[in-house]
Amino acid sequence: MRKFLAVVKHEYKKIVLRWTFLIGTFLFPVLGIGFGIVPAFIFSLKGEVTRIAIVDPSGEVLPRLRENLSDEAVTAKVREAAKQSMKDISATQEERMKKGASQIASGFSIVDYDAAGKSTQEIRADLIEKVKAGSLDAYLIVPANISANDAVFEFRSRKGGDFVANDTLKDALNQAVRSKRLTDAKISESQVRALSQDIEFDSKGLDEQGQEKNSDMLMAASFVIGLMIYITLVVYGQVIMGAVVEEKDTRIAEILFSSAKPFDLMMGKLVGVGLAGLTQLGIWVVSLGAIVAYLSAMSGSAEIFKSLPSITPLMMVYFLLFFLLGYFLFASIYALVGAVVTNVQEGGQFALPATLLLVIGYLFSFAVLRDPNSSLSFWVSITPFFAPVTMPVRILAETPPFWQIALSASLTALGIVILVWLAARVYRIGMLMYGKRATVPEIWKWIRTS
Amino acid sequence: MQKTGTTAKILRNHNLMSELVASLRVDHVTKRYGDFTAVDDLSFEVRPGRVFGFLGPNGAGKTTTIRMIVGITAPDEGSVELFGRHISSDLQDKIGYLPEERGLYKKLKIVDQLRYFAALKDVPTAEADKRIDFWLDRMKLSEWKNKKTTDLSKGMQQKIQFISTVLHDPDLLILDEPFSGLDPVNVEFMIDVLAEFKTREKTIIFSTHLMETAERLCNDILLINKSKKVVAGSLRQVKESFGKNLIALRVAGGDGVLNDRSLVASIVDHADEKEVQLTEGADPQQLLKKLVESGASISKFEEIEPSLNDIFIDAVEETE
Repeated sequence: MRKFLAVVKHEYKKIVLRWTFLIGTFLFPVLGIGFGIVPAFIFSLKGEVTRIAIVDPSGEVLPRLRENLSDEAVTAKVREAAKQSMKDISATQEERMKKGASQIASGFSIVDYDAAGKSTQEIRADLIEKVKAGSLDAYLIVPANISANDAVFEFRSRKGGDFVANDTLKDALNQAVRSKRLTDAKISESQVRALSQDIEFDSKGLDEQGQEKNSDMLMAASFVIGLMIYITLVVYGQVIMGAVVEEKDTRIAEILFSSAKPFDLMMGKLVGVGLAGLTQLGIWVVSLGAIVAYLSAMSGSAEIFKSLPSITPLMMVYFLLFFLLGYFLFASIYALVGAVVTNVQEGGQFALPATLLLVIGYLFSFAVLRDPNSSLSFWVSITPFFAPVTMPVRILAETPPFWQIALSASLTALGIVILVWLAARVYRIGMLMYGKRATVPEIWKWIRTS
Repeated sequence: MQKTGTTAKILRNHNLMSELVASLRVDHVTKRYGDFTAVDDLSFEVRPGRVFGFLGPNGAGKTTTIRMIVGITAPDEGSVELFGRHISSDLQDKIGYLPEERGLYKKLKIVDQLRYFAALKDVPTAEADKRIDFWLDRMKLSEWKNKKTTDLSKGMQQKIQFISTVLHDPDLLILDEPFSGLDPVNVEFMIDVLAEFKTREKTIIFSTHLMETAERLCNDILLINKSKKVVAGSLRQVKESFGKNLIALRVAGGDGVLNDRSLVASIVDHADEKEVQLTEGADPQQLLKKLVESGASISKFEEIEPSLNDIFIDAVEETE
């Protein structure tokens, strides 16, 4: 037991007392936030003003367009878009980028162009010449009859890929033409706005007690919990494998095995690295809590707390339980793989099935989020390799009956017993086999004979 | 064939001598891996205060045997007894094992590695720290205490590995090629350290390919090849048993004695001395006596002993 604790202490200190741990602990949340902020930031860099010539034979569109493209109008639109995106946390990345784009619509400066007395062909040639010469960035030719069904608005731009500018212009133009058409139909713009107002969709989930709960924040929280467990399992699985491979590769294993029981050495490693993982998770959870508390104190209201899904202490216990179950399940696989291979690269290939299982489990968690009580959700949340990620998500989304949680935990625990047993047998022999990677039949023989 | 008989006789003597004091007893040990027999019915004993040379070509079964002694693997048949007890995990704390292919944690500070290895041998932390300082000082490595393995030269790493082997002051020391990678100065230094362990009545098993070193350090040797014992006994006995009854002789006169075919089988003349091959069973002392009686002037009379290297090659070839 003393030796087992010595191994635990050694493995724990080896990870935690290293600057990479500190950096990882702080970098991960920064990276997470970065992935959310950076794209929006990049798109918020205002594009240069696009100089555009607008040819409008009808004279009906240009004034309206000029108004829609004015600074005040664009700013108002941006404000509206920002309000929209705040509501919508689960938007996909692509949508987010587009939304971000419309928030920072870039400016247009309308260049006067005298088209009087020229044919469309001449105008086009003339404008293209100006764009080529660089005195113009884009032009728009409004058809003579904008009400016609086949009316085409010809827009050509030097910066064809600037979808921010293109979208802004398209929106402004749409609005201008629509308003012209409405005027023609004798309908006032304000009437239309009043009539086409979006409904207020008040969407909230109900828990077992019939209490309302905020499903938007719930989605976000489940997503974060699932991601945290998934990433920690992958990262610390690799750490285990790396540590095992190092001891095998440097032949330290020979010294270790002459000092302590292989089983103690392996379990000590799993527990020590696991504690390091828990430490990191703990730092994240505590600092997240601190940030939330700080923010709510700053805004001087409990609004933020109210919008958070209620995470009970029991849920926290479940999360911890399933994290630990998942950790031991996957760590024993990674330890087994480490004892079989000769270097980390080879280990990565060999461990691919395990890593894939984790990824699949993570992907299943989205299905669980959508419908926590479906039969698919039930099965994936009791399957040992998927349960560590899917069950916590399910508990948060819609806590299943206790027997299901117990069944899931027991099945996973059973999986751990089997895998640790297998890993210990392979570890005992594999760690002393040098030179080449063992084949599957060889591993099977070790398991049978040791 | 004749040689094998001599070996068997020596072994019997050896066993008689050591019966009461042997600290390690390997008794009819066999280890198989599938169809391959790595160690075949091997028996030997090691006594404290002596250096036991465990020799053999690559793949002879040395590492497998050592692994059974240190309790990494268990024999299929036979038994290993250390200090009169069957080998078990608590006995492991009495063994210091320096494997041939060994390493250190690359990114760990030297002091942390040594602390860990000491902890695995159940040395209390405070005591371990004292011993670490003592050994680092003795090896002149104190300034490297807080450096990482990768900062050290190969020879320095070697010495750190040796420290990790002796931190728990083991009673049985098993050193597999302990001098590889060391410069001559450090080899001498390490030999001094070993001599000290020897005087403290520690049991030392020393495995090497370097026959000159083995010849210099070992009191007893065991040579195995192809999983089996080939030669065993004290260095002295083994050398005598492998002696070819050759005499290097520088002499004036005494021709009559040298032509005595009952005593001398053949003579090879070298520039200033003769190599005399005695007949089988003839006693060199008798030749010397007769030469002196014949009034010959002897300036050199030396029994030519086979080197351990010769014995090794002979013995291995014989079993091939």
